[in-house]
Amino acid sequence: MTLRRWLQSSAVALLAATGLSALALPSAADAADHTGGTLRLTSSSAAGTIDPQVNYTAQDWQIFYITNDGLVEFKKDEGPGSNDVVPDLATSIPKPQDGGKTYVFTLRKGIKFSTGAEVTPDDVVASFQRLFKVSNPNAGSWYNVIVGADACIKTPATCTLAGGVVADDKANTITFHLTQPDSEFFYKLATPFGSILPANTPPKDLGTTPAAATGPYMITSNDPQKAMILKRNPYFKEWSAAAQPAGYVDEIDYTFGTKPEDEITAIENGQQDWMFDTPPADRLPEMSRKFPKQIHINPLFAIFYAPMNVNIAPFNNKDARLAVNYAFNRRSAVDIYGGPRLAVPNCQILPPGFPGYKPYCPYTKNPGTKWSAPDMAKAKSLMAASGQAGQKVTVISDDQNTDPQISTYLVSVLNQLGFKATLKVISANIQFTYIQNTKNNVQISLSQWYQDYPAASDFINVLLGCGSFHPGSDASINISGFCDKTIDAAIQKNLVTAVTDPKAANAEWAKLDHELTDQAPWVTMFTPKQLDFVSKRLGNFSYSDQFKVIFSQVWVQ
Amino acid sequence: MLLPTLRRLAEMIFVMLGISIVVFLIFFATPGSDPAARIAGRNATPETLAQVRHSFGLDQPLPIQYIKVMEKLFISRDLTSFVNRGQKVIPAVIEATPVTLSLVLGAAVIWVIFGIWVGVTAAATRGTVIDRGLMLLGLVGVSMPVFWVGSVANLITQSRFHDTWLFHWVPGLGYTPITQNPWLWFKSLIIPWMTLAILYIGLYGRVLRANLVEAYQEDFIRTARAKGLSETRIMFRHALRTSLITFVSMFGLDFGALVGGGALLTEVVFDLPGVGRLTYQALQNLDLPFIMATVMYSSFFVVVANALVDIAYAWLDPRVRDAR
Repeated sequence: MTLRRWLQSSAVALLAATGLSALALPSAADAADHTGGTLRLTSSSAAGTIDPQVNYTAQDWQIFYITNDGLVEFKKDEGPGSNDVVPDLATSIPKPQDGGKTYVFTLRKGIKFSTGAEVTPDDVVASFQRLFKVSNPNAGSWYNVIVGADACIKTPATCTLAGGVVADDKANTITFHLTQPDSEFFYKLATPFGSILPANTPPKDLGTTPAAATGPYMITSNDPQKAMILKRNPYFKEWSAAAQPAGYVDEIDYTFGTKPEDEITAIENGQQDWMFDTPPADRLPEMSRKFPKQIHINPLFAIFYAPMNVNIAPFNNKDARLAVNYAFNRRSAVDIYGGPRLAVPNCQILPPGFPGYKPYCPYTKNPGTKWSAPDMAKAKSLMAASGQAGQKVTVISDDQNTDPQISTYLVSVLNQLGFKATLKVISANIQFTYIQNTKNNVQISLSQWYQDYPAASDFINVLLGCGSFHPGSDASINISGFCDKTIDAAIQKNLVTAVTDPKAANAEWAKLDHELTDQAPWVTMFTPKQLDFVSKRLGNFSYSDQFKVIFSQVWVQ
Repeated sequence: MLLPTLRRLAEMIFVMLGISIVVFLIFFATPGSDPAARIAGRNATPETLAQVRHSFGLDQPLPIQYIKVMEKLFISRDLTSFVNRGQKVIPAVIEATPVTLSLVLGAAVIWVIFGIWVGVTAAATRGTVIDRGLMLLGLVGVSMPVFWVGSVANLITQSRFHDTWLFHWVPGLGYTPITQNPWLWFKSLIIPWMTLAILYIGLYGRVLRANLVEAYQEDFIRTARAKGLSETRIMFRHALRTSLITFVSMFGLDFGALVGGGALLTEVVFDLPGVGRLTYQALQNLDLPFIMATVMYSSFFVVVANALVDIAYAWLDPRVRDAR
């Protein structure tokens, strides 16, 4: 019995089981009865610093989502509504002035930090200066549109953003001046990087010390080897249910260091309420058989893909890249990952449901909008045309979850095509930077990309733009090293279009998505889904497309 | 006494220096291990990357970086993690030590008692079915990898039979300090203790039996018998004492290695936040400051255990004492 067939049968069981589970929405009458208790979360490891302006992990963003606020925020809602930006610390979403280069935010009055101090325009200015002083990961790639950012990037210590972010205490406003219009500016403000912190927050990475909170919860203690504890913020009063609603539970205990398989057991035994890690595939049958009502499956804006290095042999040959794309059975990869309920085959750059997504799949039998089956005959003829048969290829995989198995399958496809392919599995902690550095001469690897915010450029420009390719550097997120001057010019032009005409821009993104897919810098495999396994007592499971489970909206009693 | 102590101390420093340099060099020789990009984040620009590299001192030559790490580890004692930034390394190791000590001490009590019992029983009944049975069981114990035994123990006590009367008392995986709740401390450690002890019971039982059987051939045993001493007295007073020499030296080395982080697999399997698991996580995350600290810590214990074994030798065996 192959692993794949076994996983398939488990996936069928999961499918049958989860069909039964339904999501109950709260009514106002219930709400009061459910307040209180301790929500117990668990993860195999902590996610690094808990400075909201530095930490760049999905794990902690989920926490900052309920502890901190920006001027604007992604709506705390379920479904597509969770991708909308709503005013948070600001009273409203400002209209663009000066052709999209100026925005004036008015601050809400009376909102307090967990220290007791009121949020003022000065705190906003200081927070944006601080982004540069703490070397925020995206200081140079997101916030460089603010006037004065260039100087801040050069010498962070003396960053003022003079003329870029201007406070007016009397009017209680903050004015942002940008060097050029930016269609994604509100998204960038809505992520935890845009959190407003007190002006007296030290201008260096806070590390394990929590920042002052504005949301319903605040981190009261944090030990990366043991646990993070969140308690209610005594100064929190709900000002906008859409941006930052009050929470149900009184305390959140997030323990670190449990292995995923033990996390599942602990949830089954009622010792934990939710786990961060992906459940190992071999536990899925048991979970779906015994605890079908405790499983929640939701969409993710993400892709699993194999970037091919277009600058070195054999994948500098386009026919060779196309051959792999035609030969790769996406259904097999989906089955290895956990079955059709947990992933959908994908051929293109953008994930389904994402802004600018128009279904497109040339790499299948009967090309069209959907992948149906591999076209081995076409792949073989392309392979013959490429003249790359017999070339040695090493697939670099990380060691997490089902990635080694998916990569093993990729190796078998490459060998079927006539390459001499081998697999090299390395620690997930190194793999991501290792495959980016051109010095390591990686030919093909397995990688994933999860959205930062719902804009097509977050895939197209970030992953395949010329600006993201830095030869010889560990931080070169355009892993394929793909740089087409014509396409890149179109990308840059469309970023400007997006400011004034998002609809036209999305149509153009769809076109670019298809063009890039035709260039085949990757083998896009599938788009995964999020599986959350929760305890029996956890109710009102609420899922945001942006931040997944909303911890302030679930209850435990 | 002073000179041997000083010599020991010098040896210890030499060993630890050597290990630290090797670990440091291996870390930087690993492709992709450069922490700067991992610290900077997944979409950092070259400028941001350069700043992070500079602020962590990663742009300096290796010997200077090495000296800085050592200075922070031993002199200013404020070395912090690369991964969980801001987390101080030394307090984390100090906090993890009682967990490892609890695990290893408890397991040591079990394996010393049962190891001696197995060895003595087998030697006293040598050649019989009991002897063969015990040695076979010992071999089984030695052959079972500790992570496998631990996983099976977890499967039985946490998952499959957790709801039965037999194992419903077993608390969830993890550690409770003895100062907080001694009963829960005991309950959560009893299965890890037994898991860790199984290997050593088998090993020590077999070694002790072999030594006892050998000792029974010695002249002084014949003399004791000739004096008309009882078998029990011969066993415990004469044979066992000399046979314990190997036992003690093995115990010292094993105990030192385990306290130093050798119980890594047991700690990982049972989610005990001890030094072993700290080492495991540091290696997984390629967190250089933690790797350096835990490696220094464990080499210290191994060296100290060696010294203690030598002293114990002298106490147990007069021949060693006279040789000095």
